[in-house]
Amino acid sequence: MRKPELQRDLFPGALEMMILRTLKRQPLHGYALAQTIKRNSNDLLHIEEGSLYPALQRLLKSELVKAEWRTSSTNRRVRVYKLTAAGAKHLEDEVSRFERMLEGITRVLAPGES
Amino acid sequence: MNWFQRTFSRRRFRSELSEEIRAHLDEMTEELVASGLPPDEARAAARRQFGNVSLVEEDSRQVWRWPRIEDFVIDVRYGLRMLLKNPGFTVVAVLTLALGIGANTAMFSFAEAAWLRPWSGESPQQLAKILATTPQGPDGMFSFPDYQDLSAQVSAFEGIAAWSRHMKTLRIGADSQYVLDDLVSPNYFSILRVSPQLGRAFATDLVGNTPPVVIISDSLWKRAFHADPALVGKPVWLTGQSYTVIGIAPPHFHGLEPGVPTDLWLPATTEYASSELADRGDRDFELLARVRSGVSAGQARTELQTIGRRLAHTYPAVDKARDLALVTQPERLRDALVPVFLLMASVGLVMLICCANVAGLLLARAETRRSEVAVRLALGAGRLRLLRQLLTESFLLTASSALLGLLFAEWSFTLQPAFLPPSEFPLGLDLRLNPRVVAFTVLMSLVTVLVIGLVPALQALKPSLVPALKGDVSRGLASARRIALRDVLVVGEIALAVVLLTASGLLVRSLLSSHSIDLGFSTRKSLVFFDLVPGIAGYDAERSSALFAAAADQTTRLPGVIRSAFARRVLLSDSGGGATLPVAIPGITLPQGQQNIPIKFNAVGVGYFQTVGTRLLAGRAFSPADDSLSGSVVIISQAMSSQFWPGQDAIGRHILAAGKHRQIIGIVENAKINRIHEAPEPYMYLPFAQAPSTEGTLIVETAADTRPLVASVRNRLRDLDPNVPVTVRTLRYLMRQAFWEDQMAANFVVALALLGIFLGAVGLYAVIAFTVNQRRHEIGIRMALGAGYRNVLGMVMLQGLKLAASAAAIGLLASLVATRLLASALYGIKPTDPISFAASITLVFLVALLACYIPARRATRVDPMVALRYE
Repeated sequence: MRKPELQRDLFPGALEMMILRTLKRQPLHGYALAQTIKRNSNDLLHIEEGSLYPALQRLLKSELVKAEWRTSSTNRRVRVYKLTAAGAKHLEDEVSRFERMLEGITRVLAPGES
Repeated sequence: MNWFQRTFSRRRFRSELSEEIRAHLDEMTEELVASGLPPDEARAAARRQFGNVSLVEEDSRQVWRWPRIEDFVIDVRYGLRMLLKNPGFTVVAVLTLALGIGANTAMFSFAEAAWLRPWSGESPQQLAKILATTPQGPDGMFSFPDYQDLSAQVSAFEGIAAWSRHMKTLRIGADSQYVLDDLVSPNYFSILRVSPQLGRAFATDLVGNTPPVVIISDSLWKRAFHADPALVGKPVWLTGQSYTVIGIAPPHFHGLEPGVPTDLWLPATTEYASSELADRGDRDFELLARVRSGVSAGQARTELQTIGRRLAHTYPAVDKARDLALVTQPERLRDALVPVFLLMASVGLVMLICCANVAGLLLARAETRRSEVAVRLALGAGRLRLLRQLLTESFLLTASSALLGLLFAEWSFTLQPAFLPPSEFPLGLDLRLNPRVVAFTVLMSLVTVLVIGLVPALQALKPSLVPALKGDVSRGLASARRIALRDVLVVGEIALAVVLLTASGLLVRSLLSSHSIDLGFSTRKSLVFFDLVPGIAGYDAERSSALFAAAADQTTRLPGVIRSAFARRVLLSDSGGGATLPVAIPGITLPQGQQNIPIKFNAVGVGYFQTVGTRLLAGRAFSPADDSLSGSVVIISQAMSSQFWPGQDAIGRHILAAGKHRQIIGIVENAKINRIHEAPEPYMYLPFAQAPSTEGTLIVETAADTRPLVASVRNRLRDLDPNVPVTVRTLRYLMRQAFWEDQMAANFVVALALLGIFLGAVGLYAVIAFTVNQRRHEIGIRMALGAGYRNVLGMVMLQGLKLAASAAAIGLLASLVATRLLASALYGIKPTDPISFAASITLVFLVALLACYIPARRATRVDPMVALRYE
């Protein structure tokens, strides 16, 4: 009876994948993470920023990321999220799975060949 | 990071998450302000972009939750708080549901014990009953030789058990009591796989002249022997013979006939001489077979049919046209479906009414909670989450009702004896809250949760938020229709209660007037009946007569005894007499082909009429001179006199009873023979001495308290011969037995009527409470405009009484039709008896007044200021 975890136009796990991908580059706190994802996706994916937090909690729970409290550049106490080894491995798997899926979809959608 | 720690440091987790989100919003706001937005707008924009904060928090917390348990705990805690806040509502709702659940559970346990419970014994799915299908219908009885042939020839069965129900008297000290015994094949216990709790079962090869042994039931062991473990190995006296107890059956084994528990088991092979068991035409045994494991029912059936045909072929005289059939456990259940369904459907209807009432109560409450729900929805609570919470409340309500209902049912089992006819034996089904029954109750309760909870919960979740938040409670057309349906329901319930109340009024008044029927003997006397059966102790008619004479003589001399007499049959008892003698009456022509008239009779001793209080209308009563040597005489009933000799004197005339000339010496008033409500019919009394018998009843009229006298009469009788079984009944017991049917019908309908009026009252209460809650604002305005306590009270009560009045009108009309069906069951009272009708209507109105008064008084407590401020 959970609320839908993501916007409907994202497939399940997409948000988590983007978070992991973003955190792979550098550890970030929530707000920065949201902005980075937004920027990198050219604002195409209209995610509510709030939906980031349940996703982060899920990743924390499955120990794909870890978090610690720090003080930010703007002198705020923030929680900074960091990829774990398991997270990196998971990301690789997910990306390759995603690529295979994308390839499949592209083939089906490609015109002509049958 | 450990979810366990997380869960149990929820507060810390929550504040951390809130802090994080706050930081997020702050940061975004700052950025927006930096880009030139005014701080207020920036804050709002940040929130918009972030989404629903509380939802995000809840979803984040949800991630760490142990699946839904936490939610459930919260819902339960909240639900309990809501229920405790409204104790009146909770008590009424729980009581209503508990009555419904209790009634259904009790009925189901009855159905379970009567029809659905498998045969006693282990692995009952292997057991199957053997029947013969005959042109006259199915016949479950078999002769012992047929049984033996079957047993010897079948290979599909592990074996077949046979049993035959009989009655014996068991002597314990000076007391004799009737017991029900099953004469069984020696393999009975091993086929059923029932092991005695003490001692051993019969040896399966038990035949011939071995010393008699008996296995007694747990119930008899406790009842008659105080559960004495040393009983095994000791002798008991059964019908004048000594038997050694070899075992005590386990506690829940009552034989194979539900409702008529077996007291003891005797091996048929030693009880009867082999010559007695050899009669192939004497069908006295029922058969239960255990199918060998690995053999299908179909195979077993085929083999059985083959053997059946072989038997029919070998013994055409007795076994022709008897096909053998097998009734397995599933088939037995299938046969039981129709009665079980009918029973459960009728009591299920009661449950449905209970549910409708409680749903009404919940709906009334949902009305007051609209704004609470709206606020919670507006704050971002998920509708499903709220639905679950509202259903949790229904669940709590139902769960407590189910527990109470189970208690009700358990208690109702103790009432069983009150519903059974008075009997010498402890009759009754073995009613138990076994796993099957409890599973039924749980299942029914779960359905109940949905039935009572879903409609009000959906109703509560339906409102569009804005009007509900604004406190606008004006209703649309849809809700008007809903109220109308509820009104119809309540009117129906109350109308039904009126019908039931009227019917119970009629039945109770009929019962009362039945008690004043002239029975043809005195019911005010203090009479004790001692049944003696010397025949059981091997007496012939002649020796019996001597014993009866001695008994009467000895008893009359006891202090406290006014008089006593012997009779062959006791009036109105189960031995009251269906037995007739063929009578030919000179001068009376009979229809073609009929040679004589069957007339019921009794054989009575000297002083009988005086003892029981039957008045002599003409002629004389029997005297000691009317013995076996003197001329044969008879005393006839008034009905017999007026039927055969209308307007003439019957005294001195002769009749031919069973081929013997008898002179009519007296005429007595008509007495009831078998039933209270029977019409008078011709009846004859023969002198006891001229119609000897090996059983009889000593009727003793005593001055006052019968108890000490019973003991001294018993002692005298035991001194005469301890082997003659004696059982004692009082006139009061006989009367109870005679009125049992009427009493039960009245009890049952009165109970139904009380249930009906209770449910009707709850229904009416719910409707009125609902409208009061709905009209709070209107009432507030009225009061603000000057309406007083009386006006408001009157307005609300009027609405309820209008409903009650229309229900009463419908109920009256329905009663006029329904009670016509009762006409044949009523005595001394017309089905249109105005007192019953008036009483029923009065009671309904009184209850309706009470049901309306409670919510109406609440309406008068509306504070106009509060109600108005709300607008």
